[in-house]
This record gives sequence, structure tokens and C-alpha cells, in this order.
Amino acid sequence: MHTSPAKLLILIALSLVILVEGRTVLAFFGINIPPFETALIGLVVIATLVIWAIRPLRGSPTKSE
Amino acid sequence: MTALFVDEYPAEARLVKATFLSAFIAFGIGALFGIIQALHRTDIFRFIESAEYYTVLTGHGIFLVIAFTIFFLVGLYQWAVTDSLERGPVDIRLSWLWYGLMSLGSLLAAIAILAGFLEQPPMVLGSELRANVLFTFYAPLQANPLYYIGLALFFVGTWLAGIDWFRTWWAWRDENPGERIPLRTFMVLTTMIMWFLGSIGVIVSVLVFILPWSLEITESLNPLLTRTLFWFFGHMVVYFWLLPAYLLWYTVLPKLSGGRLFSDPLARVVFILFVLLSTPVGIHHQYMDPGIAEGFKFIAMTNTMFLLLPSLLTAFTVVASMEHGARQRGGEGRFNWLRALPWRNPAFTGMALAGLIFAFGGFTGIVNAGMNINYLVHNALWIPGHIHAQVGTATALTLMAGSYWLVPQLTGNRLVGRQAALFQVVLWFVGIVFMTNSMFRAGLVGVPRRTAEPQYQGFDYDVGVGSMGELNAQLALGGTLLFISAMLFLVLMLLTVFNNDSEPIVDGTLPPALSGPEDSPQVLDNLRLWFGIAFVLVVLAYALPLAGIAAQSGLFGQDIQPFPVSSEAVMYLEFGLDYVGALVT
Amino acid sequence: MRIHQYEKLWIVGAMILIVGFIVTITYGSVGLGITMIGDEEETVAPDELNDDEQFGEPRVEQVGENEYAAYVVAQMFIFQPDPIEIPANNEITFHVTSRDVIHGFYVPGTNINAMAIPGQVAELTVEFDEPGEHGLICHEYCGSAHHTMEGLIVVQPEDEFDLTELSAETSDTVSSGEEVQLNATVENGELEPLETTVDAEIGGQTFQQNITVDGNSTQDVTFTVESTQLGVGEHDWTVTVDDYEETGSVEVVSNETNETEGGEES
Repeated sequence: MHTSPAKLLILIALSLVILVEGRTVLAFFGINIPPFETALIGLVVIATLVIWAIRPLRGSPTKSE
Repeated sequence: MTALFVDEYPAEARLVKATFLSAFIAFGIGALFGIIQALHRTDIFRFIESAEYYTVLTGHGIFLVIAFTIFFLVGLYQWAVTDSLERGPVDIRLSWLWYGLMSLGSLLAAIAILAGFLEQPPMVLGSELRANVLFTFYAPLQANPLYYIGLALFFVGTWLAGIDWFRTWWAWRDENPGERIPLRTFMVLTTMIMWFLGSIGVIVSVLVFILPWSLEITESLNPLLTRTLFWFFGHMVVYFWLLPAYLLWYTVLPKLSGGRLFSDPLARVVFILFVLLSTPVGIHHQYMDPGIAEGFKFIAMTNTMFLLLPSLLTAFTVVASMEHGARQRGGEGRFNWLRALPWRNPAFTGMALAGLIFAFGGFTGIVNAGMNINYLVHNALWIPGHIHAQVGTATALTLMAGSYWLVPQLTGNRLVGRQAALFQVVLWFVGIVFMTNSMFRAGLVGVPRRTAEPQYQGFDYDVGVGSMGELNAQLALGGTLLFISAMLFLVLMLLTVFNNDSEPIVDGTLPPALSGPEDSPQVLDNLRLWFGIAFVLVVLAYALPLAGIAAQSGLFGQDIQPFPVSSEAVMYLEFGLDYVGALVT
Repeated sequence: MRIHQYEKLWIVGAMILIVGFIVTITYGSVGLGITMIGDEEETVAPDELNDDEQFGEPRVEQVGENEYAAYVVAQMFIFQPDPIEIPANNEITFHVTSRDVIHGFYVPGTNINAMAIPGQVAELTVEFDEPGEHGLICHEYCGSAHHTMEGLIVVQPEDEFDLTELSAETSDTVSSGEEVQLNATVENGELEPLETTVDAEIGGQTFQQNITVDGNSTQDVTFTVESTQLGVGEHDWTVTVDDYEETGSVEVVSNETNETEGGEES
């Protein structure tokens, strides 16, 4: 794994936070992202993070935490 | 490895465990009420009458911010004093007495509140057993005397706890003359000075005005006066909720991060600032009240803005301590050290995420404090957004995270489900973000707080982005995640308590600060001085406004009738007034 | 006391931030003129509100050129008056009190936000730039039906707004041969004189009279009709002034029977 499960969990959580709050911020500038699309973006981000985390390592193993 | 707290101080550990038990029971009930509210007010699932919502809401407030937080505080502080002074109380029977009074008091109040669910409440002490008056119990709304008696007993218990810890410190001081107060005990003592000073307002309000009026010993009271006396207490109490979290962030979080507290003296300064400033700002909860001059509101505003300082100082010290710890663990680089922190540790992660939310919530507090800006948010759903970010996360999440570290040391059992615990704190974090984001946004378009049904007939909210339905769904989603997280926490605590054939992996040693108390002037430990200054500041902030209010309408008001909140009686009253109103207009 | 360099910078930054916030709020007060609800108003006795000069009759009245006062009473679970009708582009000073418990006075979507505390009067001055309707809600828990407590603020275009009141009456019955007198009273609550027309219709006959009612006063208009022109029987009448209308009826009885039966007044 590129990162420990714990850090992956926290990265996902932080992404959700950025998504929710970021959407509110964008709304202030007139950019509206509807709920369905927001959820979709969230799923894509989570999937990306998960795939990045679990794809096979190349080279030396990462430091264990 | 040092001995566990439960092995070194078994009697004190028993007391702390008792307080935590009370705290967690209250937490469970309060959390259940919370999810009921989240689903009811958003009109997603209503299975109680809207009139009963206010019973639920009163319970949510009292069980969470009075019982849960304060029972945990007294337990945590008992641990902190015992461990830092390396001794138990002068007489542990006093300790059990205060715990007993707090338990009795909260039980009486709880009975009064929960009786609100009964169709036919019994008559107790001369009136119906009900307390649908919410956590703030503003007169002329009136609860059963049992509610006020319960709260009064609870407060007496907390005062005795403070006295108990002062006695312990005095005894330690006799045996250790000239030594600086150990940091954790310093924090406990300053917190209790703040508590003594600030709770005077609500104690006077209840014992002199509201309780006698509810027992029909007096015939009237002055609603603005009792409301002002409540808020004399009401801002200080939020710091009473916060300072236990600060104690953990200052003394335990650095150790969890792998390092040491950056600065002991600054920690003392921060707590002193809270002693001085927590109470004289109460009027910022009354910006919209008639009967209080604008000048007093302005003073409250400036005092409140200065209250930002100790929290900003804390932000620096806590983050600096975390960075120090991370670098001890091998972290390098300007930001990369963040990765070296022990994110797998639920105690660490919970506290770190709580601190993050607190920083954000602090700025929403600035909006609230902003006198004329407050017009936009007073009593709107924005305020509960702020509340849940601060006491709901900075405090509650830190206390849960702290429990993961402390409960093993109190029981001698290993924490069950370390990974589940990590998931639990992260779930809370995500749930809070969803829920408070919705609350802040809804509040800004004018959705009110403290109501069973924010859906009105004659107008629509001008929602702008998204829709009311979406805001409601998001609030309910956040609330659901929080409820699941809360239940998960309680399950893990229960499993840990019964995980008897195990050894904790945590150890309770707390390394000394990088910059210790010896680096600070002795005057910081002069508690009498700080109490004196705090007292003067409170008098300056409150003497004139209170005198003004009493002069305007009298100490006991003018024939203010009580409104015991009984559903049937009120329905008839409403019908009657509608009828009269229709005749008149 | 050793304070790290970065920490000193941080403290300075924090103080600048704090002072900045205070300055911003002060600007809102002093520069933009947003005043806070204060303690200038006299206290009232909540159980004697019906005798109070201001709150005995909750209403909107004109107190100056482009200035109005709205006396509002909050009680479980209504606002009085309801709706509150006010003109746009005028200064409206709300005086709000409570008859019973602490209520809120809140117009979502605006910064009109006050507490209604029994014994106290909250005073706040607002101005609506545009006509429209705004919900008025109570946002302080006040009892089991708190969530139903709402009123309405109707902001009318300035030129359409008036404080006119009309009342009209006749005798219930009139003997044949006598005159029927239809008395209309027009009250002008505004400070400026009201020039208007009173239209009356009775038994098929119409009348019109132009009147000027001085500011804050009333004017009576009487229309006279011969009962013989109407004939025996019941006759409906209508009096109209601007958008206000009063109706009623009068019964003309023949001279032979002196019995009078109760007629109808509006």
C-alpha cells in the first residue's frame, strides 16, 4: 500500500470535507454544483484515492508506520 | 513502563470510572434525542408529536451539555489532579459526596424532563411534572420545581468538586512549598475559579428568583433579569466545556504526537485569560434584547473579540507541539511532517480532527460576536451549527478520543477495536461537517433554531443555491452519521470495560514541556490575583446592566405570570387568544 | 518568560486580527449607522397591555413625513397586528413587546431580528426598499405550538399605501316619509391630507362626494335619500372610499304599522 489504511481513511474524510465546504464556497461565486453531481464527484475522488493507495508498489517498500 | 493509573490509585480510578459511566449514559440518551430531532425538524421522519419535540430538545441540551460534558469533566479533572500531584484527595468521602450530589441532581432533572413524555404527568411539589423549558429555561416559561432543584443540586456537587481539588492542592502545597503548580492541576484550579465566578449568575437566578416563583413562594419575577443572569453564566459554561478539551490538547496530545508540549507558560497564560474573560462577555448572547443599552453590548463585543486570543494561542502551541512530536518520529520538510503523525491512533486522530473543526467553528463564533452582524444569525439555525462544531466536536470528539487513551488506564484493559475507534472518530468528523454545513447555510437564509417545524405557511425561504429539501437531507445525513458514530463509541467503551484479560498498550507517562514552568514568572501561579482581577472585570461588565434592569421593572418584575408548559393548557390558551385576536383585528 | 520568535509573530498577528474585527464592527455601528436595540423605551406591564396607549391597539401609524411606527404585540402563538402593512421606502420603527413569555420577532431573509420580552419594548427602525411580502416568525421557543407562530409583513408600494379607515351606518329602520340618512366616516391616519371620493349606493341610487380629510383626523359625510323614493322594504347600501367598502341595509316601513323589526347593520 502506498499509504496506511488509517491515512487513507483520513484522506477520504478530508476530501469529503473539502467537497462539501468547497461547494458552499463556489456557490458564493455563483457556481452551483447540484447534489447528484456533487455525490458523483465525491465517489470519483474516493475511488481515485483508494486505487492510488492499493495499486501495486514499484521499487522499495514504503516505511511501515 | 510506569504503573497504570488504576494500579497506582485504585480508589480514585473507581471514582473516575463512576463519573465516566454517568457521562456516557447521558451521552447515549442525548445522542438518541439528537437523531430524533434531526429527522423531525427536517420533516424526514416524524414519529412524535411536534409538541413533544420540545421535551426531546430539553433532554438533548441537558443530557449532553450539562450531564455528559460535566460528568466527564469532573472525572477527567479528578484523574488530572491525582496524577499530577501524585496523591489522592484529602478525604475521598467528600469526593463521593460530590459525585453523589451530581448524580442525584441530574437524576431529578432528568425525571422532570422525561415526564414530559407522559400523557398525564403526576403532580409534584404543587405542579405538573414537566420541564419543557429547554436548556436555557427562560422565565416566564416555568418548569416543575423538581427540575430547578435537580440542577441546583448538580451545581452544588460541582462546587464541592472544585473545593475538593483545592483542598488536595493545599495539602500538596504544604508538603511541597515553593514549587510551581503542576500544569494539569493548574488547569483544573483555574477552570474551577472560572466556574465559581460564572455560575453565580445562574445560581442566584434559580435560587432567588425562579425556584421560589415555581414553588409559589414569590409571585413574580423579572424575565429580563433572570435571562441576563443566565447569560452571565451562559458564556462561561462554554469554556467549562472547552477547557477539559484544552487540558487534553495541551498535556496529552503532544505525547500522543510523539513529543512534548511546546510551552507550559503559554498554557498557563491561556487558562488565566479564560478566567479573566469568560464571564464578562455574556451580554453577547443578548444583542437582540430590549432593556440593555447599546453601550453594554459594545463592551461585551470587544471583550468577546479578545477572547479569540487564548484560542489562537492554543492553536499555535498545539500545532507546534504536534510538529515537534512529528519531527521526533522522523517527520521532515515544511509540511511533510504531518505524515509522520500517528494517524492510526484514534486518540490522536480524534483530537487532531476536533481541533481542526474548532478552528473553523471559532470563526463562526466571530460572526456571532459581531454585534450588528449578529442580527443576521441570532436564533437562526446558524447558531446550532456553531454549537455543534464547538461543544459538539471540539469538546465531544476530544473527550471521546481522550477516552480511548484514558479508559484503558482506568480499567487495566486494552481498548477493544482500535481500528473501529479510528473509524468512529473520522465518522464523527465527517458527520459534523455535513450537518453543520447545512445548519450554517440554512441559518443564513433565515431558518430558525429550536423549533419542531421550521416549515411555515406564509412564505418560502430564499434558499439561493440548492433547495430546502437538499439542506434538510444533508442535515439529516450528518445527524445520522453522528448517531452511528456515537453508538459505536459507546459499544467500544462497553467492550473495553469487559475486556478483562488484557493489558493496555498505552502508557500514562506525560513528558515535561519543552519550555517548563520554571521559564515563567511566579505570578502566573498567583490564583488569588487572577480571581481578584476576574471578579473586578465581572463587576464592571455586569453591575450597571443588572442594576439598570432591576431599576426598570423591579427585581421581581411586574406580576409576571408563569407559563407552565402543559400541552393542553397551552392549546386552550392559544385558541382563546386567537379568538380574542380575531375579534380585535 | 521565553517566547519563541514565531509565537511572538503569531501573537502580534492575532492582536491585529482581533483589533481588525472590532474596527469592522465599529464601522458597522458608526459608519453604516446600524444601531442595536437598546433600553430607551419605557417598560410596560404585560398584564395591562390592553390599557397601554401603544399596545392596547396594535397598529401601524404615521409619526412623521416618511416615518411610521408599528406597535406589535407577540403572544402565544400569534403576532398582532397580522398582517402588518407598511409602505416601502419609508422608515418604519417597530415597537415590539410580549403579552406572556419571551418570543422572537424575526423576518427571515432580512436583518430584522429582535426579542420580545414581557415588560420590555424592543425598538428597531427599518426601511424596505421594495414592496413585497415577508414572513414574520417567532424564533424563541415559547411553548408547545411555538412552531406555528408566524405572521406576515406586507410592504406596499409607497403610493398605494394609506392609513384610511371607513365606517358607515344608517338607522335600522326608517318610517315611510322620513329621510334615510347614510352616514359615512372617513378616518385618515396619515399626516398628509387625504383627497378622495366617497361613493355611496343605496336602493339603486348613487351618490358621490369629493372630500379632503386632514391628517390624523376624520370627516363625516352624510347622504340623504327620501324613503318614499326607495319604497317600503329592505334596501342594501354600499359606501366605497378608495379600496375600502362598507355595506349594510336599511328597512323602510310603512306608516300603518309602527312596529319596528330589527334591521341589519353591517
